[in-house]
Amino acid sequence: MKILVPVKQVASIDGDFTLDGAGELDPRALHWQANEWDAFSLEAALQLAESSSAGEGFEVVVVTVADEHGEEGLRACLAMGADRALRVWDPALAGVDDPLAIAAVLAAVARREDPGLILCGVQSSDSANAATGVALAGLLELPRVAVVTAIEQDGGGLTVQRELDGGAVEVLRLSLPALLTIQTGINEPRRANLRAIKLARSKPSATLALSDLDLDVSDVREVAGARTVRLLERGRGEGASMIEGPAEAIAGRIVELVTRELRA
Amino acid sequence: MARDPRHDILFEPVPIGPKTLRNRFYQSPHCTSFGAELPGAQAHIRAMKAEGGWAAVNTEFCSVHPSSDSRPLVSARLWDDDDARNLARMAELAHEHGALAGVELWHGGCVAGNLESRMPARSVSQLTDDGLYATSCYELDKAGIREIQGYYVAAARRARDVGFDMINIEGAECGALPQHFLMSKFNHRTDEYGGSVENRARFWLETVEQVREAVGDDCAVTIRLCVDTLNDDPRGIRAAEEAYRFIELGDHLVDFWDLQGGGWAAAEWAGDDAVASRFAGEFSHRPYIEAVRPATKKPIATVGRFTNPDTMAAAVSSGLIDIVAAARPSIADPFLPRKIEQGRYEEIRECIGCNICASRFGLGAPIVCTQNATLGEEFRRGWHPERFTVASNHDKSVLVVGAGPAGMECAMVLGKRSMSAVHLVDEQDALGGCMRSISAYPHLGEWGRVTTYRQVQLGKLASVEVILGTRLDAEAVLSYGAEIVVIATGARWRADGMNGPTQLPIPGAQLDFVHTPEQVSAVKGAIDGEHVLVYDTDGYFTGVGMAEMLLAAGKRVSVVTPSPNLAPFMFYTGEAFRVNRELRAQGVEIVTSHVLGEITPDGLHGQNVWAPDPVHWEADAVVLVTQRQPCDELYHELRADPDRLAREGIDSVYRIGDCLAPRTIAENVFDGHRLAREIDTADPATPLPYIRELPDVNRQPAAVPGAG
Repeated sequence: MKILVPVKQVASIDGDFTLDGAGELDPRALHWQANEWDAFSLEAALQLAESSSAGEGFEVVVVTVADEHGEEGLRACLAMGADRALRVWDPALAGVDDPLAIAAVLAAVARREDPGLILCGVQSSDSANAATGVALAGLLELPRVAVVTAIEQDGGGLTVQRELDGGAVEVLRLSLPALLTIQTGINEPRRANLRAIKLARSKPSATLALSDLDLDVSDVREVAGARTVRLLERGRGEGASMIEGPAEAIAGRIVELVTRELRA
Repeated sequence: MARDPRHDILFEPVPIGPKTLRNRFYQSPHCTSFGAELPGAQAHIRAMKAEGGWAAVNTEFCSVHPSSDSRPLVSARLWDDDDARNLARMAELAHEHGALAGVELWHGGCVAGNLESRMPARSVSQLTDDGLYATSCYELDKAGIREIQGYYVAAARRARDVGFDMINIEGAECGALPQHFLMSKFNHRTDEYGGSVENRARFWLETVEQVREAVGDDCAVTIRLCVDTLNDDPRGIRAAEEAYRFIELGDHLVDFWDLQGGGWAAAEWAGDDAVASRFAGEFSHRPYIEAVRPATKKPIATVGRFTNPDTMAAAVSSGLIDIVAAARPSIADPFLPRKIEQGRYEEIRECIGCNICASRFGLGAPIVCTQNATLGEEFRRGWHPERFTVASNHDKSVLVVGAGPAGMECAMVLGKRSMSAVHLVDEQDALGGCMRSISAYPHLGEWGRVTTYRQVQLGKLASVEVILGTRLDAEAVLSYGAEIVVIATGARWRADGMNGPTQLPIPGAQLDFVHTPEQVSAVKGAIDGEHVLVYDTDGYFTGVGMAEMLLAAGKRVSVVTPSPNLAPFMFYTGEAFRVNRELRAQGVEIVTSHVLGEITPDGLHGQNVWAPDPVHWEADAVVLVTQRQPCDELYHELRADPDRLAREGIDSVYRIGDCLAPRTIAENVFDGHRLAREIDTADPATPLPYIRELPDVNRQPAAVPGAG
């Protein structure tokens, strides 16, 4: 069986970033790293692949929609144990960060790869829409479960759990093919050792253009549900007061404030 | 990140008489044990600070004449033109980096043992120094006073002639003749140099006046004054009294004041001049500076182990001080000013206040620093604290096992040397290794900076990955895929009581009421039993830490040590005086000069070091602080099979830090740093030789002219 794991490099922003005159973020203020959720979805895929007792061959394929910034993340996934990596990029995709548009690209990849299971992270930490995975399931007309906290193989299907408010746990069974979005904490993602990192360099990795997927730029851009109009810096909150002075005085003031607030 | 505008004030120039400090950062005089003997080391340690942005750098105490010879302690010297020529290099290099260079002129009077020059010592009165044995001095007559003042003038001229910008006439820390004149504890004279404050100040102020006249407008002149001896002795110096009056009297003679507090006037208060972090944080002498501020309109420089720019800026903005003086913070981070100037706050390597730097002075050995492994290595090893070359074998990948002081430092420097991949792996779930428990000892919280500084640095290095909560056995290391393996797995305390004084284990150490420091730390002192006996042959902070932790857990504590004092190494760090006093005050029973021979369920058997009669102690529990042993099993297992290493593609396996030989944290950090600096040499396990500054016997005169 093939498991497709869509991943993403996310940006974190320096504390003291500034926007330029056109409202654009200085790219130097951005730091790129692997999306936290993706380590858990990939680990879940690797564990499923490793636990299959049957001789059935498992292949774990990671995919990202990104320019060359995405390569580092894919290499890390290959080092963790993914078998193959795909990167989809077209200059026309620059600036597209809409869940529906990205799902449209991933759907084309999925149709080509025909996986038995797709494991997405619940969300990406930078855009935080939590929509790409479920949109992808919709486009592929797959059964899907979001925010999964446990997975068990169950004959030809899966039994999965998701946490609900108040500590309730929902248990669902589903047949394959299917799509799950995976919550952090479901497992303990492995850390690649240096040998695995080196081996990853020789694992297959391909870059696809939209045309390779029989997609047209307009197919992607038109489905985008939202586009960024403007970035704004959040104004300084009202009512914040700086506590200044020597450490003892600051500590004393904090104790005073906390005590007062706890009583209130 | 941009500099906080509140810190702009630190970068204003400060005029000091004929000279101008380019900013407010002043490296106050501090010892290095380089003195006059190692002029290259002397020049380059100061030059590094000049490069790091300090507006002024100073020598340590600089003897003006052979009648003031500090051996075995090492001072700078301006005895003759040869000394001056050697010191000139320091001034030259300071100037190249835009800093002013200063000398701290010193005559020790009765504290100078003159063990090298063999001249009899002279002092304000006929005194015996309490640190020298069977030695006394004779009282200066007026001709002698003139003579000594003449030594100061000659030394100041020599300094001026080779390019020094600042002359500091010191009388600080209670170890110099001018201050002995000022203190009635030492000054028993009845002539115009004794009696009233004005009379007692006379020698010092006359000296400054003569020096001023000699150097004219070529140099700024300052006085390093102890503003308060921080003791209860009425014969000491009180900020609001003697110091205030002295500053009023001398204000017209100086271009700025270099002020400090504390010193060695009374053993029970000694060490408070450079107070360790276990006792005080930043600017603990603030009240004494406040007391003397109104006495002068001249700029005031003062120390306070300042590492936080907020504290510095607040002290300057309030008008209390004008110049931020620092010794230890400049040792831990020679680039402190530059980093603040550029807003690179997270790069600051903060002093932890352990005083290992000061310990080296008392030991007569070159200065070192726990935080800054390059300190003192600027010249002889050519190390720069902020610059690293790309290793010639940078394509190799490195696995460092153990994230204690040595492992963290090694991984950090390997990352800075652009090794292609460095994995730092530790079984604990946080960085720090032994620092995690040490910084949890009572009063040692600041020592945690060893970890936090490196944590920030490691986080910035893209090629270094920190992997925690992962225990690697030999098989995992072998298959890890690293070409270079560094084992930094630390040390553990001996549970069998093996110890230096007897070179034997202690019978009974295996009994269940006998504990190691790790076991005590794990439960924060809450072991079984009400009365705990700590047996300490280690002599440094662990025995004290155990006693304090047990006290905090409500235990009654006895400490037995073969040494004549508790924690003898702490006399070098300046901590022992207060530690001995405070532990006694807290009810700790301290038994010195005794060895513990055997532990039995019925009691503990020992004896006085000097008498054979047995001594018996009772205790509910025992903690053995005797010696540590390397945790080197992994290292030996890996090295046992060279063929397997070769098959796995591992070129080399090294061990560093406590895993090699348990030593101080400073030596562990150095060891990790050293290996990383030399990872691309022919034999990285063996340190490269360093430059030794040796005199050439062939260039010495064959005989002393006129000798009989």
